[in-house]
Amino acid sequence: MLVGQSIETGYAYRLPLNFKYGNEDKLAGLCGVIQALVSVVEEQNQDILRSISTKDCKAIFLVKGPLILVAVSKSNESETQLVLQLTYAFNQIVSVLTLTQLNRIFEQRRNYDLRRLLSGAERLIDHLLIFMEKDPAFLLGAVRCLPLPEKARENITNAITSTCNKIRDLVFAILIAGNQLITLVRMKKYTLHPSDIHLLFNLVRSSESFKTAESWTPICLPKFDATGFLHGHVSYISEDCQACLLLLTVQRDAFFPLSQAKHTIAEKLRRSNCLVAINDALNRNKELPTTNPLKHIGIPEIRHFMYKCKSTAQLFTSDPISLDRLQDYRLRHKEGGDIMVKKIEKLSDMDYVRNYRRFCSQIHCSSTPAKLIFRSNSDDTVLAWVTNGFELYVTFDPLMEKDHAIRAVDRLLHWIKREEERIFIMHAPTF
Amino acid sequence: MWNPNLDNRQMEKRVVVGRVRPTWARNLPEVRDDDDKSEDLGAMPHSDPPSPSEHWDQHGKPDEKYDVFGKVMLLGDSGVGKTCMLVRFRDGTFLAGNYISTVGIDFRNKVVTVDGIKVKLQIWDTAGQERFRSVTHAYYRDAHALLLLYDVTNKTSFDNIRAWLGEIREYAQDDVVIMLLGNKSDSGLERAVRREEGQRLAREYQVAFMETSAKTGLNVEAAFAHVARALIAKANPVDPSRLAVRAHPTQEQRSSCPPCS
Repeated sequence: MLVGQSIETGYAYRLPLNFKYGNEDKLAGLCGVIQALVSVVEEQNQDILRSISTKDCKAIFLVKGPLILVAVSKSNESETQLVLQLTYAFNQIVSVLTLTQLNRIFEQRRNYDLRRLLSGAERLIDHLLIFMEKDPAFLLGAVRCLPLPEKARENITNAITSTCNKIRDLVFAILIAGNQLITLVRMKKYTLHPSDIHLLFNLVRSSESFKTAESWTPICLPKFDATGFLHGHVSYISEDCQACLLLLTVQRDAFFPLSQAKHTIAEKLRRSNCLVAINDALNRNKELPTTNPLKHIGIPEIRHFMYKCKSTAQLFTSDPISLDRLQDYRLRHKEGGDIMVKKIEKLSDMDYVRNYRRFCSQIHCSSTPAKLIFRSNSDDTVLAWVTNGFELYVTFDPLMEKDHAIRAVDRLLHWIKREEERIFIMHAPTF
Repeated sequence: MWNPNLDNRQMEKRVVVGRVRPTWARNLPEVRDDDDKSEDLGAMPHSDPPSPSEHWDQHGKPDEKYDVFGKVMLLGDSGVGKTCMLVRFRDGTFLAGNYISTVGIDFRNKVVTVDGIKVKLQIWDTAGQERFRSVTHAYYRDAHALLLLYDVTNKTSFDNIRAWLGEIREYAQDDVVIMLLGNKSDSGLERAVRREEGQRLAREYQVAFMETSAKTGLNVEAAFAHVARALIAKANPVDPSRLAVRAHPTQEQRSSCPPCS
């Protein structure tokens, strides 16, 4: 089954019920049940089956064109969040095939075995599901940016625009590193949706082959245009810099001009020392304020935070401070806080994010959305706050007092405002 | 003296193989690949002979010199070892363990020297999966040589060779150099396709044949050297009559005994 510690996601293809994982015979039965459930609700009750809940798990159904997608979950994710995951999985399939091809296949042959066309793409779906569980970017519908000095990012963007502005039909030029956006230059009039960027992150992260050669690959970006492929020149900038450049065009034979452009860009980045800046940020050089913002600001009562800048749909999270490191850190800072009696545990980004899910769904609840949530107990204190400009989730030490928490948050927001140009991409450059 | 006009006419008649450098330019350095003159964007080393007014000695990199240029494409089902074959050839290493699936087409260059002639091979490594066929088809026509691989431990990959040859006939140039390779020949007991079966199929389609192993390196150099020789034969602009003889596929014999020119 498709993966994750607590998620099991299945895909039932509408008529032939196929499955990548597990025993095919058993799954055929399971898929038969799924299809029966969906079609009974659909045909007899003129309705749509959305979910089935049992005592300890829920099954979410999503019918998308010729596919039925099912997620079975035992975790605390809300129905909306699971539907989002299924939509992403579907978009990933579309990204590989295009919607046109997907629909056409099933029009021609209702019993087509989709695995044939998806072979080699299973790992994209696997990685995507893991990626979604780990990264709050999906939860918030935002893109994570690589924190860079404003000047460095400007130089990088200029290197790309000056090289590419004469290339016809180049739609997007995107430089990414470690699931973070370094810069995105676009053709005027066209924009790229965060979920399309996530699919590009996933593609780059899941494809080892990009590391060994320059690639030319078809990519469909479902939100941009689900009906057709863009053609992508994909390559890493250099052996000593793990930033990956994607040049997306509508020309299917533009490989060579784009390859040439890539080499020019790489050369310019090297000459202007941008590769060093990228590497420093990627390796989380200790001297950078963004590497460990909590320490840099000096707010040890905050264990973790994530902040979404709404206007740019971008995200910044702290490097989580695990409790044992926190203790060590406090000893050095002589700031007290009795955590010796508590069980020392290591919390990762993922644990915090899992914790935020509940607050996130309360804030995004369509019937009674909350603007500010403050919850304090003996494990931790969480503050979730949404305004017109941002969404903020913070985890504090347990039993935190409200005004103390608010003071800490003020300092945090002040810092974010100051570092805005570094942690977010505030301009949207075009060719 | 080399006459560009005369050569142009000859080139038109022949199916062109890359940029053929005139004799006088053979030992001069190649124009830099990453030359960033914007009008050069898109101009790959192409089939027209260079104009004598081009400055061959500027921006030259000594290791980029070559006499003949050709585009080689690797084809075959997914998992037969196309990328491994190429990595063995280019870097002399074997990608053991993890399976690196190619996404679309990967491009790499390598200059080989056969019979004292430097041949720059631009090698296109394709994804074997069906969904990438439409992308790869677009590149068949530009390829001068095709290495068609199957996996000797995987009968299906061998059975699909006929379908691949059908596609090649449909999309590639008529005089493209084709070579059939049975890869993973080191597999011993797991073998599912006998050497003779590969030979028979190659004879039927009149293409060259070798069994290779990207793991041990067996015949990897030899296969690419064979391709390079075939490209030299096709590209030689001095003597078109010689080309006519060579272009006809007698490669099956050659695979066992490469021509000693």
